[in-house]
Amino acid sequence: MQEERLAIHLRDRPAQLRDLKEKGVKIIGCFPGNYVPEELIYASGAVPLCLVHGGSPQTADAALSVVPHVICPFARAQIGERLLKNPYYSMIDMLVAPITCQHLKKVAEVWEYHGDLEIFKLGIPHQHNNDFELEYFTDRLIALKDRLQTFTGNEITNKRISGAIDLYNKMRELLRKISVIRRTSPSLVSALDFIKLNHASFYADPAFMVEILDSVYQELKGKQQATKTDRPRILLVGPNIGYGDYMVLELVRAAGGEIVIEEVCEGIRYYWNKIENKGDLFQSLARGYLVDRVPCAFMRNSAKKRLDFTLKLIKDFNVSGVIWYELLCCETYDSESYFFTQKLGEQNIPVLILESDYSTAATGQLKTRIEAFIEILKGGME
Amino acid sequence: MIELLKLCGFEEQEMESELPRVEKAFTKLGITDEDIERGKQRLAKYYDIELKGVRKVFRLIVRELVAALLVRDEGKKKVIYGFMAPGIDMLGSAVVTKSKEAFVIHHCWAFHIVVGCIFGKMVPILEAAEKKWLKEGVVAHCANVKTLVGPITLGLFPKPDLLVTSGFMCETSPKTLDLLHELYDIPVWYIDTCQDREFREYPEPTRRIASLTAKSLKRLAERIQEVVGFEITDNMLREVQDAKGKLGDALRRLKDLVESSDPLPLSPTHDNIWMCLSTLTLSIDGIAEATEAINTLYEELRERVAKGLGVVEKGAPRVLAILPAGQTDPRLEHLACEVGIAIVAIDGSLAAPFKETSEDPYMKFGLESQQRSMSFPLRRRIPLIIEGCKKLNIDGVLDRFHVGCRSVVADALIIEEAIKKELGIPVLLLEWENFDPRVYNHEQYKSRFEVFKAMMTKKSS
Repeated sequence: MQEERLAIHLRDRPAQLRDLKEKGVKIIGCFPGNYVPEELIYASGAVPLCLVHGGSPQTADAALSVVPHVICPFARAQIGERLLKNPYYSMIDMLVAPITCQHLKKVAEVWEYHGDLEIFKLGIPHQHNNDFELEYFTDRLIALKDRLQTFTGNEITNKRISGAIDLYNKMRELLRKISVIRRTSPSLVSALDFIKLNHASFYADPAFMVEILDSVYQELKGKQQATKTDRPRILLVGPNIGYGDYMVLELVRAAGGEIVIEEVCEGIRYYWNKIENKGDLFQSLARGYLVDRVPCAFMRNSAKKRLDFTLKLIKDFNVSGVIWYELLCCETYDSESYFFTQKLGEQNIPVLILESDYSTAATGQLKTRIEAFIEILKGGME
Repeated sequence: MIELLKLCGFEEQEMESELPRVEKAFTKLGITDEDIERGKQRLAKYYDIELKGVRKVFRLIVRELVAALLVRDEGKKKVIYGFMAPGIDMLGSAVVTKSKEAFVIHHCWAFHIVVGCIFGKMVPILEAAEKKWLKEGVVAHCANVKTLVGPITLGLFPKPDLLVTSGFMCETSPKTLDLLHELYDIPVWYIDTCQDREFREYPEPTRRIASLTAKSLKRLAERIQEVVGFEITDNMLREVQDAKGKLGDALRRLKDLVESSDPLPLSPTHDNIWMCLSTLTLSIDGIAEATEAINTLYEELRERVAKGLGVVEKGAPRVLAILPAGQTDPRLEHLACEVGIAIVAIDGSLAAPFKETSEDPYMKFGLESQQRSMSFPLRRRIPLIIEGCKKLNIDGVLDRFHVGCRSVVADALIIEEAIKKELGIPVLLLEWENFDPRVYNHEQYKSRFEVFKAMMTKKSS
């Protein structure tokens, strides 16, 4: 029921956004990674769209006319989607580009070079252990507010920001609740369904999305626990899952495994923490988006923090194995895969490292490796 | 060995004290008699070693590496390494000027020149890093970080009291330090900056970014003070900046001479040596020695120019190269000369003019560090390259993209397109690794250079 409502909403969403544009509403895109507070865009009266399409070899390859092959496929896909005129990517009036990893930073530079789009580069200090780094980010958020006000012609008041924080907190809270339901075995919602919901939240109207998520949560709460299965419970770790990059999720499911939780930086909304909705709201947003979260691999001193968080997820979600899903040429995650494999190995937690460039040619090999891994996990469970 | 050291500018009278140190250091590196012979041949083949200025520069570089390798044996109590850490050279020079007990070095640069360029022995170092977490092959990690991880995991360098990097160009270097900290328990430090400069903010440096860099560098200075146990004052830094300013002026004058002369008076194989020299953490006396070496070389080159002598024929096509010369291997630049191509400049030396400066040494550094071509986003970098090509009367661009560096590699195709469109000159696009000699393919590069030269010659005629 909710699935159908959401599908219809997403089907009609581009047309709905075009109507809004005709009425003068600005559509403002941002890149994922959860360093851009959508709250500010929403509070400006514009529509925030987090551009998170990925997984298609065609779009990633289309970008090869602009950037070389050693740029990660997700970053290339962002260039490709615009070249191939994806309606969402074509309709944005402005891009907020967080300065996160070097690949996405380059996408913003390529778009900036072509000069047909208003771009705001949101500076993200890559560490926050010094006071001046949080200060820098806070100042950049204030600068973003100023730019949004000028661009949309709407004043961004504290009241509007507070309302937006409240709305997005509800969304985060519901995603968290739905995710936590997956602690039960067998999981009441598949990883694919959860990630699709999450991806939808980047494009759908946020108020509508909150309604959908609430209904989904209520439905799941009322569901009877299914009978026990022997599906090994798996944690998926990686830099990125794009909207459409579902091959590994499907292969794991088909091979008899169950991904029960994801620790993914890009492409999944960070929903574990809420933004404090009191006091200085810019400081609050800066803290919430920069400090009070598990750092992505491009951040300084992040490996240990993410390892600790991963170990907690393994325990909380009763995980028996980890699939490390990285994108080709993502060197920070590739470096960390070595560290994680060593550290998880010390605790006898099996790890499978997979690497993707979105090519379908590797499907057979991926399938074989995933099947073998799940067999190992099943063997280990007996 | 004595012959090699003489080629590297060591004087007869210092052999007694320096020879045992060099031998000890080279033994640590696994340098054999055979390597020494090869080193002599490579020095003679690839470098203008007959020039006194070149020899003096090599001497400084070899001495720095030897000092780094023997740092604990020679009783230095505090050791700080910098890696891809602009700013550490300023702080490091201040430290080594003040104290004999502390040692700071941007060590990989000297390592690249000696182990890579002179001895041609970089491959085992890279392979050692590849056995850890740094991938090889078509999607390899940057070989520069391999030249950090390799020596550390092989135990060539002693464990430092602090290892410093920055995120000025990329995240690969900080991530490497993150892992070195977690896996080898090396204390690390990161200089912070932010690459969020917008096109509309050019051409002036952005004060907010400079200020972030300055604050972060100041915090590093405090951390270094904790390690070495004495204060680093602003005056000490100003003295270093003054000395480095003179070295920078000497290098600029040298480059101007090279860029404006026909025939090209010096092989571009030396370009990475100037870069190395600028980043070494020499004491103020050492910086003065370096400046004197460059001034000597300048006078020697002026003589060459006056006599019409050069490393390629007069009228050879003039080329601007994107990215610095190979850091560990001089063969590509040497081949360019052999084919008759004059690489007169690299885009890294193209800097946007700016007026702003500051009395505060940290802020001064923060402002200056933003103005180089490689620090610019595409929309600003390309006009700077195009202006540079016009100013230097360039016939073609060698657009070598360093595949290991995702931060600069993404610009390559767009630079190629823009130059062809704006200037109508040939562009040779070369997939390249600045720190890995294994990418060098003589026959392939030779035939591509020959075609490139023919295109430039045809175009200009």
